[in-house]
Amino acid sequence: MSSVIFYAGIVWLALLLGVMVVRLPRAGTTAQRILVLDLLTLILIGLLALTAGEDQRSYALDAALALALLSFIATLAACRYHENRRPFT
Amino acid sequence: MTPILADALVVLGLAILTVGAYGVVRMPDVYTQLHAASKAAFLGVAALLMSAAVRGDGAIIARAVLIIALLTVTTPVAAHAIGRAARRRGEPMRSPAAIDET
Repeated sequence: MSSVIFYAGIVWLALLLGVMVVRLPRAGTTAQRILVLDLLTLILIGLLALTAGEDQRSYALDAALALALLSFIATLAACRYHENRRPFT
Repeated sequence: MTPILADALVVLGLAILTVGAYGVVRMPDVYTQLHAASKAAFLGVAALLMSAAVRGDGAIIARAVLIIALLTVTTPVAAHAIGRAARRRGEPMRSPAAIDET
């Protein structure tokens, strides 16, 4: 991978992360906040995949795998809590 | 050939991810934002993971395939849970042509 595209991708993904972080407190409803948090972790997984592809090392993808699992559980728990005020009924 | 393919996949993934983020910023309510946040963002991340896999060794390929399979299963479930919670809590539909059929 050419380093120009790698650094441009890192900067661009960081910019998207910044946009989502700014967007998070301005979201109108609670479901929109949960959605923006979910998208934030997806962008972080993309960032980790980009660094793993550049470095040719796999440990960044271990972190991405754990982040994917954790964000799925967190989104489900937040949605269940938002729906009926208890995480698991 | 392989570095060109990796570069192309990175650019493709960044473009799709940008479309997804722009959709979340611009769409009027949570039900329309779910389209951008689940489908477009997942496809962008999958392209980035594939760009890591085409140049990597076996460990990177195995982890990338595992993460793509996991996201394929979990992203629709998470999007459905968000939409269901929003509907149950009565969050408004603000898109102009919205019809509440429930």
